[in-house]
Amino acid sequence: MNTLIPAPDAIPVSWGYFKFLLMLTFPLHLILMNSMLGSAAIALYACLKGDETSKRLAYELAKVIPFLIAFAVNLGVAALLFLQVLYGHFFYTSSIVMGAYWIAVIPLVLVAYYSAYLFDFKFSSLGKGAVALVSLSLFIFLGIAFLFSNNITFMLDPEAWNVYFAKPAGTSLNLGDPVLLPRYLHFIVGGIAVGGLFVALVGKMKRKMASDVRAAAENIGMKVFTFFTGVQVASGFWFLLSLPQDVIRLFTGGDALATLIFIAGFLLALVVLAAGISRKVYAIAVLVVPLVYIMSFMRDSVRSGYLKPHFSPESLQVLPQYSPMFLFFFVLVAGIAPVVWMLRKALGSLPQAEEER
Amino acid sequence: MVYICGAIPPSDPSRKDPGMNYPVWYLPEIGGGTLIALISIIHVFISHFAVGGGLYLVCAERKGLRENDGAIIDFTRRHAKFFMLMTVVMGGITGVGIWFIIALVNPAATSILIHNFVFGWATEWVFFVVEIVAIFVYYYCFGSMDTRTHQIVGWIYFIAAWLSLFVINGIVGFMLTPGVWLADGDFWSGFFNPSFWPSLLFRTFVSLMLAGVYAFLTTAYLTDQRLKSVMTRFSAKWVLSSFLAAIPCGYWYLSTLPNQARSLAEGASPTVRIAMQYGLYTAVLMIAGTLILLLVKPAWHSRPVSFLVLASAFLFLGSFEWTREASRRPYVINEFIYSNSIVKMDLERINRQGFLKSARWVSQRSTTEGNLLAAGRDIFMNQCYPCHTVGGINNDIAARTSFMDYPSLLNYIANIHEIRYFMPPFAGNETERKALAAYIMKGIHGKSVQFTEETPEAVEEKGKTLFETHCVLCHSEQLVKEKTASWDRKKIRWSLDNLNRLNSSMPDYTGTAEEKEQVADYIFSLQGGAR
Repeated sequence: MNTLIPAPDAIPVSWGYFKFLLMLTFPLHLILMNSMLGSAAIALYACLKGDETSKRLAYELAKVIPFLIAFAVNLGVAALLFLQVLYGHFFYTSSIVMGAYWIAVIPLVLVAYYSAYLFDFKFSSLGKGAVALVSLSLFIFLGIAFLFSNNITFMLDPEAWNVYFAKPAGTSLNLGDPVLLPRYLHFIVGGIAVGGLFVALVGKMKRKMASDVRAAAENIGMKVFTFFTGVQVASGFWFLLSLPQDVIRLFTGGDALATLIFIAGFLLALVVLAAGISRKVYAIAVLVVPLVYIMSFMRDSVRSGYLKPHFSPESLQVLPQYSPMFLFFFVLVAGIAPVVWMLRKALGSLPQAEEER
Repeated sequence: MVYICGAIPPSDPSRKDPGMNYPVWYLPEIGGGTLIALISIIHVFISHFAVGGGLYLVCAERKGLRENDGAIIDFTRRHAKFFMLMTVVMGGITGVGIWFIIALVNPAATSILIHNFVFGWATEWVFFVVEIVAIFVYYYCFGSMDTRTHQIVGWIYFIAAWLSLFVINGIVGFMLTPGVWLADGDFWSGFFNPSFWPSLLFRTFVSLMLAGVYAFLTTAYLTDQRLKSVMTRFSAKWVLSSFLAAIPCGYWYLSTLPNQARSLAEGASPTVRIAMQYGLYTAVLMIAGTLILLLVKPAWHSRPVSFLVLASAFLFLGSFEWTREASRRPYVINEFIYSNSIVKMDLERINRQGFLKSARWVSQRSTTEGNLLAAGRDIFMNQCYPCHTVGGINNDIAARTSFMDYPSLLNYIANIHEIRYFMPPFAGNETERKALAAYIMKGIHGKSVQFTEETPEAVEEKGKTLFETHCVLCHSEQLVKEKTASWDRKKIRWSLDNLNRLNSSMPDYTGTAEEKEQVADYIFSLQGGAR
């Protein structure tokens, strides 16, 4: 028993509700984050390529990236909330161990976010500055992802926390963990792949865009998606094999559900890859959402496997009070109505605005 | 026995935690509190704007439509862009920043807030979603959407933003006035706590005031003089009326605070008093500036003026939030968990079993002759560093203890909470207290940790030390000298037994009779009197 692990606080409703909400919101956060990362990467590529069509494609993406950041952050807040409820005692501790780096996430996001807005609002007057701005956003995204990978691997490995005593100012990273690099790579490569799909979808769906820009978006988006998905399958196996033996065993028959999820995920990835080669954009979009969910479930099994010797959410003490949860569900449902109404009204009025320009 | 999330009573056999659960993120020269203050103050200054500014947009747009004034509508559109870039980016990210920083600096209290109010936060998140969608639609469809629908979107934004404030206000207020929650641990008791309504009303008016204050910034950049004049007057009305409305709410708010918190807010702590004064001065400055702009000369409005108003509003809100935070001392959650993460009900147990044995993240497990400084440092990091820096700007421990010696510090630590209510009591056993005093004296000041011989000079020195420890907190040596100028030694000694009778805001001196003699000697010697 590791004596450094803090005692958890009690929860107001059964742990299953929080797991459900965490597993509902986290994959949505991933999809938005991936779209944001891939759009920035493809926008940079298009800026560098520099021909007229590419420039216009870059501008189309520039307009979308700030929205993606806004909703990626927003859904990240939800996922982080439910993560803290179940695993806060691990997560707070690992955050403190790397505190100096962890707090840097905030100013970094601010810089990336404002760069993205400048890239959008000042696009026509930026010239070469466009490359600098979109690169800045992109590299900050990659850097933040690296910090998140550090924190999440730290969180799962209390034995590594001892570095705190040598560096109480929180200047440690989890660089000694052999899982760190393959894990980070797996998330980045997958992110860019899904981002490619997002760009292809933009090309398919934004009917007001010029046809050559739409074709370019679909073309490059699909290429990126297919190539990176191929790499992703390989990097996934590297990630899997780098995990501790006990955790790997979960997926090779040790845990029936985890094994089933793994097989389903692998098969679905192959189907998606085949669909990518034959460029079926809508089919891929429909399949990628469940794929991201399945991969998130695998990720959750990895977490459970790591923490098994120390903790499982079932052991959390419940001091029941359900009424605030019912209020939340009510507000959630009631909140969807104005959102849908506003989006419908917006879609009804936007094309007109595009024509005016 | 009532069970509260995050606080299973010490007597409960299921309780496994030793008391102190988390490591301390140790930045001795900066201080975690400084970082919390830095991020929070930026956030509140924008997040209140994010509420009131929504209503301002709707009203400005309606004014333009009613008066059929295209220039006003165009101004509103540009102001909406500024509003979006400010609130969604800076406001949104610094809001996440507060989460990050409080979890790093005060994880135990953060965990309690998260576990108690998780569905409050989750509900607030829904409003956050509605807000983002609404402001995007409002800005990007400005001019392309029919005006009625567009104004409804603006209203949806404002209502969602205000409901966000409604939820956060309950949780923030809970920390200062947890009320009945302390007894029943119920979500609703904590949420609708004693300061909920006055605080909500106060913050609502402050947010409307800030809407006008920020609009001064955008109006200052207008080149069309007519439009500039019209919108300056319009904005000034917002600032003035909501500022006047906020004042009685502020007093109502103050009246709901528990006695200890109110006396802190009213100036029992010198640092709080300074903050309150700043708040008052800047508020007066702002109201004067606004009045001039509104009533005399809107044409005088310029960029420097707008920055001046913005800066004074920043200081006004900053001093309010700072005072509110400070009024909670020595607690993070009033009467429940101290600023240094010690849960009040654990105190007795920690004193019994020793602090080092009650904490997970310490390098030393007990005190011995050989590890006094290392153990003292552990205790310092956990119990003092949450509020004190070492050599930093904020509450520097070196400056605060520079006039003390080892014996006086040792004595001071033992009675710290009684002498200064806003500091938490020392938690730990006798040798741990010595270790802490030794660390501060030797580890930080490099002074000796021996008890000195009691020579007559040393006794007089002791009186001076006691005086500096207990008296100069509220009044200078000069003031005491003046007040006691005509007193004899006997009256001075008598007064030390009757401080509260002399002045009802003065706490009685709790020292021993011998200490009182020494202090009396010292005060008497100030007027040149011999002992």
